[in-house]
Amino acid sequence: MIPLMIKASFEDKSAPPFVARVGLESANNTAALSAELPDVHIYQYREQSFSVASDMGRSMNGDVIFANPATGTLHRWLRSGSSHNTLLVTERCDQLCQMCSQPPRKTHLDMFDHLKQACLLAEPCAQIGFSGGEPLLFKHQLFELLETVGEARPDLTFHILTNAQHFDTADVERLRLTVYSRVKWGIPLYSDQAAMHDQIVAKPGAFAQLMSSFALLAHSGQSIELRTVLLRENYSSLPELARMVSNRLPFISTWAIMQMERIGFARNRWADLFVDHSAQTAPLDEAVSIATSRSLDVALFNMPYCTVSPALRPYLHASISDWKNAFSSECKDCTAKSFCAGFFAWHATLADYERAGPIR
Amino acid sequence: MTRALPLRFRRVADDTAIVADEAGRFFRSNMSFVSRLADGHLTPTDKAFLDSRGFLLGKEDQLNETSFLYALAQRLQPPKPLSYVILIPTLRCDLSCAYCQVSRAAQTAKGYDWSEETLQAVLQYLDEHGGESIQIEFQGGEPSLRLDLLERVVQFARARFSKPQFVVCTNLSSIDSAFADFMASEDVYISTSLDGPSWLHEVQRTQNSDRTSRFFSNLSKACDLAPGRVHALPTLDVNRLPEPNELLDAFDAFGLRSIYLRPVSYHGFARKHHPTSVGYDPRWSNFYSSVIHAMISRNTSNCGAAWEEFYLTHLIKRLLRPGENSHADIRSPNWLGYDHLVIDYDGVLYPTDEARMLARTGQVDLNLGNVQNGLDLGRRAQMQAAAFNALDPWCSRCPYQSACGRDPIDDLARHGHVNPPRPRTAFCQRHTHLFDLAASLIYSDCPDTQLSLSKWLELPVPTKLGEQHL
Repeated sequence: MIPLMIKASFEDKSAPPFVARVGLESANNTAALSAELPDVHIYQYREQSFSVASDMGRSMNGDVIFANPATGTLHRWLRSGSSHNTLLVTERCDQLCQMCSQPPRKTHLDMFDHLKQACLLAEPCAQIGFSGGEPLLFKHQLFELLETVGEARPDLTFHILTNAQHFDTADVERLRLTVYSRVKWGIPLYSDQAAMHDQIVAKPGAFAQLMSSFALLAHSGQSIELRTVLLRENYSSLPELARMVSNRLPFISTWAIMQMERIGFARNRWADLFVDHSAQTAPLDEAVSIATSRSLDVALFNMPYCTVSPALRPYLHASISDWKNAFSSECKDCTAKSFCAGFFAWHATLADYERAGPIR
Repeated sequence: MTRALPLRFRRVADDTAIVADEAGRFFRSNMSFVSRLADGHLTPTDKAFLDSRGFLLGKEDQLNETSFLYALAQRLQPPKPLSYVILIPTLRCDLSCAYCQVSRAAQTAKGYDWSEETLQAVLQYLDEHGGESIQIEFQGGEPSLRLDLLERVVQFARARFSKPQFVVCTNLSSIDSAFADFMASEDVYISTSLDGPSWLHEVQRTQNSDRTSRFFSNLSKACDLAPGRVHALPTLDVNRLPEPNELLDAFDAFGLRSIYLRPVSYHGFARKHHPTSVGYDPRWSNFYSSVIHAMISRNTSNCGAAWEEFYLTHLIKRLLRPGENSHADIRSPNWLGYDHLVIDYDGVLYPTDEARMLARTGQVDLNLGNVQNGLDLGRRAQMQAAAFNALDPWCSRCPYQSACGRDPIDDLARHGHVNPPRPRTAFCQRHTHLFDLAASLIYSDCPDTQLSLSKWLELPVPTKLGEQHL
């Protein structure tokens, strides 16, 4: 697991937080390495100087960091060379999904100026993710950020994870601006049945709103990554969802089907929510076949290689977030390890799966 | 107030109908549903089904309107730049098959090869009009008689295009060392005719046992020289059909399992010798279906490469996938003279190989200009007006319309004009049979059939693919 937050000692702890790029040579907006001692690396950013453990210093070279002198922390917002960087827009959310990996909070800290600065400092051709909470609770600020950054940095692409509850027809014209052709919207849909979807996200009417949003996004030519998390409740009807997606949502770019992350709400509700797809492969096999027959692009995430039918293995993707990858001790000699998604670091065990084990 | 999209249906059995919308999205139902639909008496269950599959309009969310329009737009694909070109470097041939698809000249005839000027003009034309990638098919005549011209085209294309592919349509009557070297390249594909068992191939093509055994040994040699890059197709005369398994065995002997079954075509010299081929002979449907069923019974979970009929696989894909428009023989709008072009031995441009034959046989000259002076855009636009089936009064009632296509050149060849009543055309009769067969396979409960479909469509597991409301 890759650390996303690093302890740092700041010379001036009363200074305001700042966003900078970590580099070897001093330049505008750069926190430059000024001294390399055996145990610590020392950096200079404008008037501020700070130090971190030397192994951390080495790993964060090239990153865009958010530094908070008051708490003595560096947050690696945009890790150099990673395509899995995600910025948190807010922790508020209007849904309360049963298995939420990042349970919402009521408080909101407006970070848009820092987020914008981070985007402007991003590596060339980076993909930047936005997540929450629900980022579109602050739709106008987010749109403004995208449009400003998009104009200054035509090389960047964006991925926004949203419940799509906050689009309206007035957005259609705006979403036709060219910057939005570089945005992919990650949108969860858990069932073809309105009642089941609404229950899973704990919001009555969510499904109906979602269907309107899909129509609106299609009309403005948006790229959509549909996301479905496998749950005990929705698993057996997955083929029906595949039919609904094929017929009613043919304009999506990708259908990502993913196993649950054992964190957030899911940690305590694991026994109630988790469905072992290895014990009963038919719904997943069938759903992927139906979607493929209609030429939908299907991608499977968070599923260890050994737990899916051999026929589904070409659809597996290594991970949706590289920093969460981990393996179990049983995986030591597995020949598939180099291209396996592994397990989420929070439950590095094969024991959850009936049909699993190293591939030799 | 909700209502169903405009739907058309076709009764395929006593109480079974295939129902589809204008975008070609379809489901299977029964005749009482069709009556309820026609009378405007849909039940709540009917409406729930139609909604779940995207066929119900007038809801607040407009999602079904959107998914319908999206699918329709995928069918009505815009024209693409030149990506497939058929070149005829020579019209001369060392065989004279009774139903030659292409017009030919004697092996020793003069004036039937590209001149140096024509070659230069062809290369310049490809350079100017080609996109990023290209497939070049060498037809004839027998193109290997002018391997020198082929080599110059290949040399040019490898420098000009990214990953060009070359197909040589050859009778394989001889493979000298230069031809052997040529076909050894990874970007060269061989396409030849194999009419089935050797007795049939001899009757139809080679005519004596020497030439027959030379062909079979050359086919074997080609398979060794170009492993996985040799394709063979049979041309079959409905009056002289082989047994399905006899046909498949003949292909299996060379490891060839993807077959494109073609009836004798009413083009080229075939017209003189086969006057009856203007219509459609229903015996072809029976034969075709029995070959498909023989293929299905050979496709087992461990049979290795799948047996498939190339065209049927494509039609099944077109039924299920609105964006599947890759085959120039079956699409609507059929963009003639855009992405697909033929350049004859004299540099004249044609939209298809069939159009070239009509000109050769003196029926109608459908040339689109020539490589020296470029495309004749006026003629192309005129042809285009007849290359769209959606507004045809017959086709617009057919559930297969948007997966089907329009071939105005075939219409002209057989009927002398572009607006024959569709159900009377061989094109319509043949394709209606093919689509009915495709639908019966899609809705089959037979595990063997589902297995074959999963192989043809490259699906992870066999499953029931079709939507139904019974």
